[in-house]
Amino acid sequence: MKNQILTLLLCFFCVNTIAQTKVFKEVSDDISTETKAIIQDNSLVGYIVFTRLEKTSEDSFNYKITLMDENLNDIGTVNFREIGLDLEAVSFDQDVLCLAYLKSTTHGKTFNNKKQAKHTDKKDYVLTQFLTLNGTIIKSNEIPVDLNSSLQMQSAEWGARKFQYDGDLKHRIQLTNVSGRGFACFYGDADGCNLVAYDFKGTQLWKKNIDDKQQFALLASKADVYLLQKEKDKYIEGGGYLSGFNFDDGKAFPRIKLEDNEGRSLSLISFGNDPVTGNPFISGNIINKSRGNKILTIKSYTQGPYDGIYTMDVNGHNKKDIKQTFVYWNDGSQKPTISSKGYIEEAKSFTLISDAFRDYDGNTYFVGSQLIKKPKIVAIAASVVTLPLIIVSPMILAMTGTMKCKFTDASIIKLSSKGVLSFDNAITCNNSKFVRGATYITYVNSRSFYSLDNSDSKSNYIIADDLKNIMIYNVNQKKLVRTIPHKAGNLRTTIAPAKDGHFMVIEYNKKEKYTSLSIEALN
Amino acid sequence: MLLHYRFKVSNLIICIFLFCQISKAQNQSLYAFHDLSKFYFKTQRDSLKKNWECPQIFTNKTTQKKFKEIWDSRTEFVTGAIDDNDFVYDAELYNFINKIIADLRKSNASLFTQSPFLIIDRSASVNAYALGGNVLAVNLGLITFVQSREELALVIAHELSHNILKHPENSMKERAEWLTSDEYKNSINAVLDSKYERYSRLKKVIETYTFSRNKHSRYHESDADSLAIVMLRNSHISFDPEFFLRLDSTDNEYKLPLKNPVKNYFASYNIPIEDAWLIKRSKGLSSRNYNFQDTSSISDSFKTHPDCIERFEKTKNMASPTITLTPIPASIKEKANKMLIWNMYDNLSLTPCLYRIFLEKDKGNTDTWYDFMTFNVIAGLYYSNQQLNRFNAVGIIPKEYISKTYYELQNLLEQIPSDKLEQLYKSASAGGFWGKMPADANGMKTLFSALTDNNKNNQATAAAKDYLSTNPSSMYCEFAEHFKK
Repeated sequence: MKNQILTLLLCFFCVNTIAQTKVFKEVSDDISTETKAIIQDNSLVGYIVFTRLEKTSEDSFNYKITLMDENLNDIGTVNFREIGLDLEAVSFDQDVLCLAYLKSTTHGKTFNNKKQAKHTDKKDYVLTQFLTLNGTIIKSNEIPVDLNSSLQMQSAEWGARKFQYDGDLKHRIQLTNVSGRGFACFYGDADGCNLVAYDFKGTQLWKKNIDDKQQFALLASKADVYLLQKEKDKYIEGGGYLSGFNFDDGKAFPRIKLEDNEGRSLSLISFGNDPVTGNPFISGNIINKSRGNKILTIKSYTQGPYDGIYTMDVNGHNKKDIKQTFVYWNDGSQKPTISSKGYIEEAKSFTLISDAFRDYDGNTYFVGSQLIKKPKIVAIAASVVTLPLIIVSPMILAMTGTMKCKFTDASIIKLSSKGVLSFDNAITCNNSKFVRGATYITYVNSRSFYSLDNSDSKSNYIIADDLKNIMIYNVNQKKLVRTIPHKAGNLRTTIAPAKDGHFMVIEYNKKEKYTSLSIEALN
Repeated sequence: MLLHYRFKVSNLIICIFLFCQISKAQNQSLYAFHDLSKFYFKTQRDSLKKNWECPQIFTNKTTQKKFKEIWDSRTEFVTGAIDDNDFVYDAELYNFINKIIADLRKSNASLFTQSPFLIIDRSASVNAYALGGNVLAVNLGLITFVQSREELALVIAHELSHNILKHPENSMKERAEWLTSDEYKNSINAVLDSKYERYSRLKKVIETYTFSRNKHSRYHESDADSLAIVMLRNSHISFDPEFFLRLDSTDNEYKLPLKNPVKNYFASYNIPIEDAWLIKRSKGLSSRNYNFQDTSSISDSFKTHPDCIERFEKTKNMASPTITLTPIPASIKEKANKMLIWNMYDNLSLTPCLYRIFLEKDKGNTDTWYDFMTFNVIAGLYYSNQQLNRFNAVGIIPKEYISKTYYELQNLLEQIPSDKLEQLYKSASAGGFWGKMPADANGMKTLFSALTDNNKNNQATAAAKDYLSTNPSSMYCEFAEHFKK
């Protein structure tokens, strides 16, 4: 936020007296700020800074919304008063900004004693607020929610006990614009899950009660709204369904179960809209019925938990409109040669697929870290030598394991629009150290992958975020366009998605303790 | 015939001589590195620090202590600005402005006890300011903006009036009194005692103070205007109230469009500029029709200067009977503009810097220094792009504040693909103008070569040090200094 709230205050007052210092400290301590990106049709169009300025009564606060464009230039501010708000989601369409909050008289509030807490008028809502680009709040809607909260005592020091209501929404609020039609909002509380549709005037069009599941993902596609649901606790991965609704009348389409023709469950890696058709598109792994759904360690990944990969294009509302492509490892039809356990000969490694995306030519790319394994010769030899000692030999194997693994480069696997699989390229990354096969994957694989694109030049980019560097790879040109070190001198650099065709560079200067931002082109 | 031939030869010699003189004048450095305030005003800085002692004027110890704090913060502001090279010495500009001050002093001797300490601020802002203690600062932005000596004299006389009327000192006194007053203390304590709306209460305290201060400030401005007009009249310098109306347009600086399409200015680099790079390809809010009524900004009544139209209305009866305007000498204008462009460049404000260069080209200026500065902007952008800092180097301004051509130039600098930018940099590095540039300018090309060559990253510091030792008095050393460490 360019214009800091307290700039005005600090400009005029360089004060030293105790009362002055205290008042500035106390007033600024009460101010809290959070920034969120404004998304429209899956593109970042601006930023919102939501500030809680001050308490105005026992329950209510003064708030300030600062709107910034995609270049971080201030557009305007809006002030309003409300009871306790947590901004959860923001969306934008037709020059209307929709903000979704959890509004509560008790959520996150600390009480000095039990009596005060019990006497508080407990009210919890999901609040949707509709704001125009001339700074007018045109409508606010409240839906009462049950946070299933109970009064809990906080850690106390010297008898000064504090109380707080625990409880929260069961499923966070998700919000999306439905291009040219309105906004769809999803949330779940103790009473169930709900999908609500609003037009641009903020009028509620319909509200659907949705069966509770373990996880939900909301997507708007043309005139429809989709909810991807994961069955409760049935699988570590997989067990998904896709439910669709017509935005205008809320009519549900036939539910699609995420499984292949032989009943294998499908894991989810990406869920979005195809950049050309605008239809929903899902991709992921085909889970092996016996070896799948139990990946926790590196070793378990090398034992063939997946039978292949798939893509699913939802081109209509009926079953016949769903185009599914299943590619199975080791069925002899594919090159490169991939073993039944997922070992890619051409890359001489397994690939821990962690991102997938569709390009502008209908090809799907799967990206992930290469994983290589080697036997622990010394440990095996030691256990063989100590074989006569009945207890020692198994102990050695149990303690050290027989296999060591490490992550090397990143693999890019391409599934063409015609369903032909190929090993596209590798991105050079910093290798991890060899670790025991029994090590949990999450402890070793600290890399993350995501894709960005430039809709204007129809180019796709892979961001490979390694421990040491961030690599930006141009998929169309098959070349690395930038390598950004995370650490250079006193600077610590991270990047984040920004406006179309760009990424945000966030640099923190550790020595001088300041953060600078820049928005740079991907090309 | 022979006579005619001799005449032709002599003409030719004169022409060659004149051309050499012009070239020399165009290509020589504007000022030396040691003319920057950190070096040039070192003695004055130390003297200010030592001699600008806070006078004992309050019997109340707390008020006197607060007054000293404010007084010392002013000293720190000036000495800090000197250290940061915010000021520069240039004999020609100094002599020109000092002559205006001398004319005002001569005819208003009773008002002056001594000549003011003049400093030229390198800021592009169209402004001048009085700091009290007989210090007067004139911004380069003002010198490039004014159209006549009389217009500049009005602003200088206005600021001198502030010093004569002791407005800066009085303002410091009032501030000390307010901040130590019971009323202020009570207001602050009331904020602390209140359970609710603390931010609003504190804001109100500040606004009350600001309003009170600016109400006084407005009286001060009005008084300074009146005295300035008297000083001008006594000095037989024309006063035209319309100057105030022109000053109202200072914010429109980048609304002046370029005469030619933006791509034409890059024609000599043989890199085709695609139309798509000039058009904003954004889905973002900047391209929407927003019209926020900002509810948190300070209302108009708090502005420090009265409205220019109000000033015009108040003074229109005081206009000189016959208005004679003397143009600012072209050499002064050109020098100030070049100094401004260089300062903008050194501060990494690349779009306004390049825009000013193109505006100069629109005037038919063929001075190769502007080609050299165009190279610097392109090289700076290329370097910033490598350093992931192109966004800040371009400095995107919302479209409503700038002309269509500025917007296009801004889009171009933001959107030109990296490989094309590299080609543009290489093409500019091979420009024909380099042969006409002095050694220190050519040294910049070598320095950029080291800065932008990824394989020579370790050599950047060495190249900067080499530049500094080879061209110790060049004004461009200021740029090399950034890379010394």
